Amino acid sequence: MMRQFASGLIALGLVLTPVPSFAHHSTAMYNMANPVTVTGVVKRFEWTNPHAFIYLEVKDENGKTTEWSVEMMSLNHLKSYGWTHATVKPGDVISCTGGAAKSGDPAMISSLMKLADGRMIKS
Amino acid sequence: MTRVNVPVVMALSVSLAAGQGRVAPPARIVSFTAQPSSIQPGEAVQLSWATENPNAPTIDPDIGRVTARGSRQVKPAATITYTLTMGGPNNTSITRSVTVTVAGAAGAPAAAHTVKSDPRMPDGKPDLNGVYGFAGIRGGTPPTLKPGAEKFKIVRGGPGDVRGTTTLGTDCVPLGVPQSFNTPYPFQIVQTPKMLVMIFEYPNTFRMIPLDGRPHSADPDPTWMGESVGRWDGDTLVVDSIGFNDKTEVTGYMHTEALHVVERYHRNENGGLQYDVTIEDPNVFASPWVMPSRVLPFRPELEHVDEFVCENHVDYGKLFEKR
Repeated sequence: MMRQFASGLIALGLVLTPVPSFAHHSTAMYNMANPVTVTGVVKRFEWTNPHAFIYLEVKDENGKTTEWSVEMMSLNHLKSYGWTHATVKPGDVISCTGGAAKSGDPAMISSLMKLADGRMIKS
Repeated sequence: MTRVNVPVVMALSVSLAAGQGRVAPPARIVSFTAQPSSIQPGEAVQLSWATENPNAPTIDPDIGRVTARGSRQVKPAATITYTLTMGGPNNTSITRSVTVTVAGAAGAPAAAHTVKSDPRMPDGKPDLNGVYGFAGIRGGTPPTLKPGAEKFKIVRGGPGDVRGTTTLGTDCVPLGVPQSFNTPYPFQIVQTPKMLVMIFEYPNTFRMIPLDGRPHSADPDPTWMGESVGRWDGDTLVVDSIGFNDKTEVTGYMHTEALHVVERYHRNENGGLQYDVTIEDPNVFASPWVMPSRVLPFRPELEHVDEFVCENHVDYGKLFEKR
């Protein structure tokens, strides 16, 4: 049931099939074969190692809000893509593309993001 | 709550990044500035740049490869144009230039950013100061185990997995030697005539290597990174290490506190370090294990390693498919 709920949240706007590489651990807990895109409002951006995280408030078609945990690469990698701690800030509307948790929990690992102004950046 | 340490893919991850139909977001130059843009001879200028999704950004002349974002102080002797260049889509290049105007005639010293091919310390020994990349250490020919030492071979995955949740580099504990060179993170050498310090970005560990000719301690307390002493054999740095604890991996094998590692570092013509390492542990290996030679590449675009503190310990176990 949880999985159905989660899939209902997923926007279908982006047709991208990123194949990310992850330096710290495998992605076995995420469904990398079928990337999804989740759009929401940034609640918190954790500029942390071994992985950075964005917590995203995602609204479904019924108006119910769920907080998604969006895992990113380590800071070393994010910096090599041009990220800083200020690249996103609370309140930004962003889209995150990557693998969602196989458990159906509102969690994903994102390898590509569309920022508030439309810029695409690896994550 | 069950913590699940998931198998690491550190060394493999870099090669997997290429190809496979990946849709790459466009590279772009966000900014490239020179402050101030007009100077008197001998004055300094701060070049600052920011890029996103960059592919091998460089600044010419004088500077070369740079990181995605950064700044560098330059002292041009005459009016000069710096150009930031990086790869764009379909083998095109993206560039942006800034010009620094230097008033009057030349006469000030040129910028000192040219990399010398064979830098030396004041005492004539090789100057290895700088940042280097990882090597992807592989064991090569498997070592011969001492009879009865099969239990030291690491088995990952499946029912025989007895050590799968340790030593993998996922739990942010120090990796030991030579495993520290097996992560996709850089390390830095800070060298003085009497001490050489290695700082490993991941996972925020260091090695202190005295170069003053001292012998090892009589019975060093066990540590994650061991006790090292260094000496010069011609232009080759030889580092002898003992005093390790038994909690780290050596390329597929666990070891005991009797581990003895001898490393040889020799700078090649590209500035990288040829790395040769021999492993001994009389409790595990029947004979010294000579690993294949590797090169730790010079990373001149990195002026220093970064902080790496593991602080978000995520319970990944709950994210796996429910059974």
